[in-house]
Amino acid sequence: MARFILRRLLLALITLWLLATIVFIITNVLPTDVGRTILGPFAPAESVAALNERLGTNRPILVRYLESLQGLVTLDFGESFVSGQAVLPQVVGAVGRSALLAGLALVITIPLSILAGLIAALRRDRLVDRAIVLTGVTLSSIPEFVTGTILVVVVGVQLGWLPVLATAPDDAGFLEQLRYLLLPAIAMAIVYFGYIARMTRAGAIDVLQSDYVRTATMKGLTTGQTMRRHVLRNALVPTVAVIAVQIGYLFGGIIAVEKIFNYNGMGATMLFAAKNKDLPMLTAGVIVIGVVYMLATLAADLIIAWMNPRIRLDAERA
Amino acid sequence: MDFSRLDEVRRTTTPLQLDAVESFARGTISRREFIRRGVLVGLSMSAITTVIAACGGGATPKPAGSGATGSSGPVKAGGTIKVAVQRPKGLDPIGMQDLASYGVAAQSFEFLCTLSKDATDIAPGLAEKWTPNEDNSVWTFNLRKDVKWQDGKPFTSADVVATMERMVAAGNAGIKGVIEKGSVVATDPTTVTFNLANANGNFPYLVSVFNAQSLITPTDFTTGTTLDKKPNGTGAWKLDSFDVASGAKFSRYDGWWGGKTPLDKTEFVFFDDTAAMVTAYQGGQVDAIVQFDVLTGGPLFTDANFTVVDTPTTNHRQIWMRCDTGAFKDKRVRQAMAFTFDRPTLIQQLFKGKAILGNDHVIAPFYPYFSDTVEQRAQNIDKAKQLLSDAGVTDLKVTLQYGQQFEIADLAVLIQSNAAKAGITVTPAGSDNNQFYGAQWCPPEPADPPCSGAAEFGIVDYGHRPTPDVFLNSALQTKGVWNSSQYSSAEFDAAFIEFQKAVGVDAQKAACAKIEKILNEDVPIGLPYFYNYLSGNSKKFSGVYTSALGQMFLSSAGAV
Repeated sequence: MARFILRRLLLALITLWLLATIVFIITNVLPTDVGRTILGPFAPAESVAALNERLGTNRPILVRYLESLQGLVTLDFGESFVSGQAVLPQVVGAVGRSALLAGLALVITIPLSILAGLIAALRRDRLVDRAIVLTGVTLSSIPEFVTGTILVVVVGVQLGWLPVLATAPDDAGFLEQLRYLLLPAIAMAIVYFGYIARMTRAGAIDVLQSDYVRTATMKGLTTGQTMRRHVLRNALVPTVAVIAVQIGYLFGGIIAVEKIFNYNGMGATMLFAAKNKDLPMLTAGVIVIGVVYMLATLAADLIIAWMNPRIRLDAERA
Repeated sequence: MDFSRLDEVRRTTTPLQLDAVESFARGTISRREFIRRGVLVGLSMSAITTVIAACGGGATPKPAGSGATGSSGPVKAGGTIKVAVQRPKGLDPIGMQDLASYGVAAQSFEFLCTLSKDATDIAPGLAEKWTPNEDNSVWTFNLRKDVKWQDGKPFTSADVVATMERMVAAGNAGIKGVIEKGSVVATDPTTVTFNLANANGNFPYLVSVFNAQSLITPTDFTTGTTLDKKPNGTGAWKLDSFDVASGAKFSRYDGWWGGKTPLDKTEFVFFDDTAAMVTAYQGGQVDAIVQFDVLTGGPLFTDANFTVVDTPTTNHRQIWMRCDTGAFKDKRVRQAMAFTFDRPTLIQQLFKGKAILGNDHVIAPFYPYFSDTVEQRAQNIDKAKQLLSDAGVTDLKVTLQYGQQFEIADLAVLIQSNAAKAGITVTPAGSDNNQFYGAQWCPPEPADPPCSGAAEFGIVDYGHRPTPDVFLNSALQTKGVWNSSQYSSAEFDAAFIEFQKAVGVDAQKAACAKIEKILNEDVPIGLPYFYNYLSGNSKKFSGVYTSALGQMFLSSAGAV
């Protein structure tokens, strides 16, 4: 197992280096006059040239590439071209906010959707199954920005039950913060519910038809025991893999939800950086999202390996 | 009229001040305009009130360029106001370009001339008093003596000189060509003398709230120093925290020269779009909105608990047409295009009526020197067709370039449909703003003359200016830095110089009559409207006042 993790970490480092290189190439191939972008269209050419000089955007590309790698190692991504503030704390703050929102959305979605998926599988082709599948498909087909807007107007403005902005005041406690995040988290949960429930249902149906489950039932185990001991571990493998991918996506930011609830997570931060050609911010953001993605997949692999020894053994043999 | 009291004032005034007094006494300018000019040329408030009393009052028209909400009436002490504002790009006082940054930076830093509390004009800020010499070429500013920076150091003329030097170095558009390196001299610790490159009767505006980058910063600021890196200022509010992600928080600066503010704290919440601000207000999470537009701010107009401040400004769009080459080289073609605009409908559809008619020149009707001698151009398709036929143009096809922001994309479509009536085929071509400015409006190359690489036809946005100087010298003067129409008229250039050198209202008005006539005739730019600035706040607060450049003043605001 230790070798497995070590191999994966090594692979992650190589991926990270590749990612940094690709980001560098993309951001430096873009024909952007950084100084002009920062100072705006009305600034005199001399000021633009002076700023480019100060930022070092006119130095040889190799020097800048090596510096960007050095920045990656020392975790120093420089200062934002737009606000002049250090980039890393801003990105870390944004990731933290995204993590809190994504975490809450997942805490709501995962248990509900797995439970619904299992119930649907057990009651296959019956009314409950149809109802769950149909609700899931319907909900996933409504985009987040529509559910988000409806939630804001109805729950936030008309009924006044929950705050319409997701950012809690500084002095808010943890529970109060969660209250502010509840509406956007629900908007996100609504979309993912159907997806995860259907994945769980498909996995569970596969497993329920397998020989070992039939054996378990025939040897006299109750449905509950069969589900716990034999079905869940096997049926949830694809679900865990899906959730891992979704985590990466959620951390990357659900831009529509962030916009509606004026929440400054990764999505809004990256969009703002992209609009203003804030290259240091974009670079740091992409790298950080990359790291989160890799960690999420690594965690999912470990969970899957723990759930299913065959995968673990395959990995160790490989 | 009480001539003896009037004479008392007349005896003590400089020629420029006297001109303001005489213009008011003759009824050439309104009372509000007299106050505005009086303050501008350095008349004391007591002299102004004496003159008004002596002349028996005067008409008070609607102010332009700024607005106040319920500034009268007592307010409670204590509390916090939460203000919704667009996300600022960064708090570098000299380098900032966006209204949101202007508004946040102006909480801590102050101007020599601030916004008057009734939000109608400039008023003494860090400068108590200013006086010009006889021909408006040298201006002396007397600074307040009781001002301390938030870090405890005294505020002196050295700070003003250092700020002006930084502005000159940064090429500030407002003062470019007006003051140069070394033009600003600290005569003594509380007196600053500005030796202008040319005479300029409107100079105080260029060091006022209306030139947003002219905020006075301490001597230890250098180019690129931001308020959040070095929180300081002479203003009523001390920056506690700034996070570009969420917002800025301020608390009262107890040492402020203006006294104790009613509110304890202020909070600016940053938004990326107006719709979210409106919802946040409806959900009770913000109390005021610095700026919103007519379309997304719809619900605010009907909200009984919200005061909308709707103020005429010089915010406008210029529809430029290249005068030196291409389809619009013949001025009859440009005139024909201008005759296709259905201006009242544009205003109704784009601004729900919250704009005023433009007449293809930059002298807005509420400027005191506006001359009503030029007939308002209205849609006249027959005339447009006639002009095209006189110019020998048939089947005109042009591409209209614009940047995708505000109402401009909709304006482009309306221009297209208006022009079609006269048989002109307009193809709107929108692009990302940076792309638009850099490639269509004023490409950096070729650099001489500036903007000579501009597209032949396009729409560009201009923000509010208290005087039309920037519009005239940058966009329309021969070789102006933003002259995308490549307009070059010796007659216009002469009229502009005449306007800048003009001493007194009559002379300015005469120069403007020429400017308006020339521009309306030559049509280097179509200018269909000047639109209003919209801001507002919940009726739970009063004493809030806002300039049309996004600076919301909260020092006298409080809960009612």
